[in-house]
Amino acid sequence: MNKKLTPRYVIIGLVLLWAVYSLWPTVQLLTLSEAEVETMREEGKYGALESKAIKQGLDLKGGMYIVLEVDLPALISNLAVNRNEKLNRVLEDVTEKMDQPKADFFVLLTQAVTDHKLRLPRYYHEYGSSIDEIITNLKAQADDAINRVLEILRNRIDQFGVSEPTIQKQGDHRIIVELAGVQDTERARALLQSTALLEFFLVKDAEVTNDVLTRIDKILKGSDALEDIVETTVPEDFLVSEIEAETPVSDDKIISVSELFGETDENEADSAVVDQRLFEDRPFSALLRNFGTDIGIPEKNVYAVKKIIAMPEVQEKLKAGNGQFLQSNESEQITNIDGQQENIFRLYYLEKEPELTGGVIEEANAQLGSQAGAASGQPVVLLDMNNDGTKQWARITGANIGRRIAIVLDKKVHMAPSIRGKISQGGTQIEGFADMNEAKDIAIVLRAGALPAPVNILEERIVGPSLGADSVKKGTWSVLVGLALVLLFMLFYYKMAGLIADFALIWNILLVLAVLASLQATLTLPGIAALILTVGMSIDANVIIFERIREELRKGKSPKTAIDSGYARALTTIIDANITTVIAALVLYQFGTGPIRGFATVLFWGIVISMFTAIFVTRTIFNTIAQRKGIQRLSI
Amino acid sequence: MRLIKETHIKFMDQRRFAFILSAVVILAGLVSLVFQGGPKLSIDFKGGTMIAVTFNEEVDITKVRTSLSQVNVEGQTFDLSKEEIKSFGGPSNISIRISHQEDEPDNFAQSVINHIYTAFPELVPREPKDFILSMEKVGPKIGSELRGKAIMAIISALALILFYISIRFEFKFALGAIAALVHDILVTLGVFSILGYEISLSIVAAFLTIVGYSLNDTIVIFDRIRENVKKRQRESYPETVDFSINQSLSRTVITSLTSFLVVLILWLFGGEVIHGFAFAMIIGVVVGTYSSIYIASPIVVQLHANAPTK
Repeated sequence: MNKKLTPRYVIIGLVLLWAVYSLWPTVQLLTLSEAEVETMREEGKYGALESKAIKQGLDLKGGMYIVLEVDLPALISNLAVNRNEKLNRVLEDVTEKMDQPKADFFVLLTQAVTDHKLRLPRYYHEYGSSIDEIITNLKAQADDAINRVLEILRNRIDQFGVSEPTIQKQGDHRIIVELAGVQDTERARALLQSTALLEFFLVKDAEVTNDVLTRIDKILKGSDALEDIVETTVPEDFLVSEIEAETPVSDDKIISVSELFGETDENEADSAVVDQRLFEDRPFSALLRNFGTDIGIPEKNVYAVKKIIAMPEVQEKLKAGNGQFLQSNESEQITNIDGQQENIFRLYYLEKEPELTGGVIEEANAQLGSQAGAASGQPVVLLDMNNDGTKQWARITGANIGRRIAIVLDKKVHMAPSIRGKISQGGTQIEGFADMNEAKDIAIVLRAGALPAPVNILEERIVGPSLGADSVKKGTWSVLVGLALVLLFMLFYYKMAGLIADFALIWNILLVLAVLASLQATLTLPGIAALILTVGMSIDANVIIFERIREELRKGKSPKTAIDSGYARALTTIIDANITTVIAALVLYQFGTGPIRGFATVLFWGIVISMFTAIFVTRTIFNTIAQRKGIQRLSI
Repeated sequence: MRLIKETHIKFMDQRRFAFILSAVVILAGLVSLVFQGGPKLSIDFKGGTMIAVTFNEEVDITKVRTSLSQVNVEGQTFDLSKEEIKSFGGPSNISIRISHQEDEPDNFAQSVINHIYTAFPELVPREPKDFILSMEKVGPKIGSELRGKAIMAIISALALILFYISIRFEFKFALGAIAALVHDILVTLGVFSILGYEISLSIVAAFLTIVGYSLNDTIVIFDRIRENVKKRQRESYPETVDFSINQSLSRTVITSLTSFLVVLILWLFGGEVIHGFAFAMIIGVVVGTYSSIYIASPIVVQLHANAPTK
């Protein structure tokens, strides 16, 4: 063999070795049987192997992708002392403007503060005396908060048990969470979004509660705002009386509802359930029911009730009374007078300020309720408090024997038992869960701690396992079919040279996969598409070269000179043509997220490697052939 | 074997016809775009919810539509019967595209899925998790951000390419190439608008790939022109360009053919998720090949004629 070619073969050999080395874990992983996977998991080797193999994106594996944003207005509002209407207005103003793209919260806040002439030090004296100083410090608080949120979410997901979760910060205030293979997405979402804010509120007396209901009725009576609210749920014609059925509004109307929707009678109950006369007289109470000793809200009225409570006039009244309305966590199914099944939530009127918050919780565990208790056999979460919490809890329970205390998680009341005696061991339990999974998740979030601020879901993408599997199957299939067709065509069209090109093409694909594996990049469905495009690009480079060589041969040159000048001429063309595609790929990578990045990564490496295989590898093979003595014809 | 023998097609003489053809196609696309008030953007750019679910057997879309006329989520009733509901890669799968709703609760999408699941008890898989094919929910804020990013991506790609070609070739070549790219994007956008296909994030990726592909083609021809202009100084400029296109025609046809083949396979067998992407690529391969011969090169000839001193 020619000495000049030896270093080329050494390089090619080394690259090949490296490719095999990088791809080996992936091959191993794919050929493992399920039993072997189990043993490896037990030995703890599976994770190490998995991390070295090519990762499949969520679109292939199935799973969940969520972009969360820390609710900055809520965080800043939480940090304020002496909160008042004016501050709320400014924060609301900023929240509205946050919908614009590229809006920066603190820039907007500074602006709003100047616009409204808000005296910031009044609320944030702890954080400095000038506006600039306070904003800088609040910004630091926000940065700290997002890092804490990140930490807490990591903690929760670890305890939830997802293999290879990705949790990362994006920009200043966003968090991207990717959970591959998660099937119960509803549960995962709740786990991520739960603020885990645990609070204990005293429940106000029945008398006080009735009083406030009457007051709200009075505010609402004849209010225009009310019509808007009820109309959003129910156009006025649909106000159908169902309870206290002595004077149903009229049968005509019920029929008209059914006719309008072209459906059977069962669906007619979909409007807010109120008594027409009662509604005119006592608009708020009409939406509610007596439910044992508590107030109940039929599920259909929940939205209307929420809207009414949120009205500024109502809020003012509640503030004056130093109270707040909160709803129960789970609805309860009952059979009403008409014999129909109905879901009812409870509504509680509570003190404004919590007696105790979840910061004192040291340990939380889910289990089934003990035989003796009311929640026997039901899932409950047992809480243990630290010393400080134990003392406070004893004081609170001791001072309020006979009153009810509501245990509130994320602004939903889980239970509101009466205090029978002083509790001095610092333990308590929470009831009111739909199932054991929910209780377990709540225990996880309570252990991991409360988020410093609520988080909002900005974007959410879920791929079900069947669609992912389908994509893998079809993606692989189309790559193979496309590849086979191209390989055959090249062989047919360029004969021996085509065979060399085919060899280069297969090489090319293997190398791209090897690079993906060693970069720990993720293969997504668009990535597979890019792989197919790479096939096209790689073939193109070879076609350019071969056509040049053919041209040179037609001019009567010898195979050796034809190869030399063919490659020389084609080189600039290939580089110029491919660099522009590389530019497109880089831009895509820069601007894209998730799957698009997967596409850009594969495209980029595909082009770079196709230049290597087309220019370097095939050239070496051609030269070897051309150097054989006495070669007269080139099979091309 | 040779598919294309030596050819002497007078491409530049046909350029007027080609310009008219392109103008008609682009105009048709633009008219369609104007009528529909711009391109049909997917929820990636507009915000909203996209749900795909699978049933055990073929399902009547009108029934699904009827059941969606009243969806109750936490006491709030939504009428979703006017939203876009269509089959998704097969008669037993459907997709529902819901625009952003006012006062949308956090678990809105999940509630809609649960609503359909309970509405057709005899048609759905036993496990609810097998019912969901995919679910995407994009907030309006992210939507407008992605829109901005996509536009920025296309503009900056074009600018960088313009810059690169100006350095490697001459500025007029860069203008020719960019004109061809804009042509390709407009045609693809127009075809999408006429067929009522929506522009999603992956379609934008397809656009950028088309840009790369079409450019690849254009530059191979430009390269020949650059080479031949030096060698064949006695010929007129259009003749040299024609000669160059003919010379590289064999390569152009073979490469386009193989590329077309692979994207066609992708379109046929790649599955529903990648369908739109593959379709955009098919149009892109065809239009990209056409434009490098009939748009990019003629514009270089035209610019050369206007500045004959160079």
